[in-house]
Amino acid sequence: MGAGHFDRVGGEMIRVHGLNKEFGTSDNGGGVLALSDIDFEVHDNEFVTIIGPSGCGKTTLLRIIAGLIPYDQGEVAIDGLVVTGPGPERAVVFQNFALMPWADVLGNVTFGLEVRGTPPDECRDKAKDLIKLVGLEGFEKRLPKELSGGMQQRVGLARALAVNPRILLMDEPFGALDEQTRRLLQEQLLRLWEGQRKTVVFVTHSMDEAVMLGDRVMLMTPRPGRVKEMIDVPLQRPRSPQVEKSAAFVEIKEYLWENLRAMQVGES
Amino acid sequence: MKKRIVLDWGLRLAVFIAAVALWELFVSTSQNFLLPRFTDVANGLFRLLFSEARFWEALYISNQALILGFAISVVIGIPLGLLAGRFHWMDRLLNPYVGVLLTMPVAPMIPIVIIALGLGLAARVFIVVLFAFVFITVNTRAGVRGVEASLIEMAKSFGASEGQIWRRIVIPGAMPAIFAGMRIGLGRSITGMVMVELLLVASGLGRLLLEFSGRMQSDLVFATVLAVIIEALALLAGMQALEKRITRWAPDISIG
Repeated sequence: MGAGHFDRVGGEMIRVHGLNKEFGTSDNGGGVLALSDIDFEVHDNEFVTIIGPSGCGKTTLLRIIAGLIPYDQGEVAIDGLVVTGPGPERAVVFQNFALMPWADVLGNVTFGLEVRGTPPDECRDKAKDLIKLVGLEGFEKRLPKELSGGMQQRVGLARALAVNPRILLMDEPFGALDEQTRRLLQEQLLRLWEGQRKTVVFVTHSMDEAVMLGDRVMLMTPRPGRVKEMIDVPLQRPRSPQVEKSAAFVEIKEYLWENLRAMQVGES
Repeated sequence: MKKRIVLDWGLRLAVFIAAVALWELFVSTSQNFLLPRFTDVANGLFRLLFSEARFWEALYISNQALILGFAISVVIGIPLGLLAGRFHWMDRLLNPYVGVLLTMPVAPMIPIVIIALGLGLAARVFIVVLFAFVFITVNTRAGVRGVEASLIEMAKSFGASEGQIWRRIVIPGAMPAIFAGMRIGLGRSITGMVMVELLLVASGLGRLLLEFSGRMQSDLVFATVLAVIIEALALLAGMQALEKRITRWAPDISIG
């Protein structure tokens, strides 16, 4: 999987260095700079959330790390190996769930395993475990259209976890859900992650979500997208919903809002 | 569900009875002695089905062209549509020809095809294909275009190959549109089958129709047309049943 040419560089889990991405590049130039000089690292088993106003390229950045789109300059490396495409150590959870409407829950959860050539029996067993883990036992035969949004995204999460990735890339996964469902899924994700740690990069536009989930929050500026600041979140783990009342939580959230607000003044 | 079926058929029957009543009314007020009553046609159909051996023979001959022609249309039409939907270069290549085939009246082409291929089965099959395949292609292409880009991206994120993307995402996603194309294609195939038999190659049901109208047996003309319609409905119903089984997942946005 992900065959091709690799170069060893640094030692962090994910390392992004001097990354530039332009859209609409043609022979006579004139492209739009989407990401400019992005530099950051994500450590083993670290949970990093990325927040920024719309148009800051946070989803583009995630797609580049996923190996779904190419980049123009700089370097993106996983475990010291330069990213040239998708790889077995990474799995993506999508904002719009991206479930196959013709396949039932079981069929959707086994998709990644099947594509990677796992024997059918093993696919089934693993998928059943994951379906149980995300609390969808008994829904194996349901089609996506028969599920609520929250349940659909739990299928998306189970599908990503089924391939046992070391890195989970989440693109505003709860952005399409109502607030109550979103909070329940955040709590579920935290429990899952604390039970079995993975490296997570989580793109969001919700300040609560960014602080609640992340070990660090990466704040981005728009047009072109740049890293404004990496903010440590010194809240203890495991986190319960109670941390929202803590002074540290409130302080970081206020700080994020001050910055995000300043970026968008005069734009909306 | 039971109630729904009863209601559906009740409504259909009511429309049918109203149409038959209008027909009878029109015939009884018309001076046209050739116009058969509905009862004459029903009687004619009965005679065709049970005491006219030539009807079954004609049906068999016509269906050869229909089935072969439709099968070839599916075998050509679906792959072309899939390729045009997925690859821009193929779409650009096919676009003008698809345009020609969609808008070209096929009937005037029949003499040319006969000159080229003769009066045999080959010519009739070719006309049926000409009538049908491009509609299957156009629908299949639209179906592929309608497959959500995010699903293809999802498949890629798990490392799916192009072949896996085709098998697992593109073809299943295009299935409802492919079936729609096949339904239109089947209808067009039947038109093509009857048209070529009426216009040039007198054989099968077309020949039977020409004979009946030559002998002014208008009840049998009507009955033959009715038989073609019944066969078409049966084929479409079979196709719809298959479609329902395969595309049970498709979103249902109809109301009422």
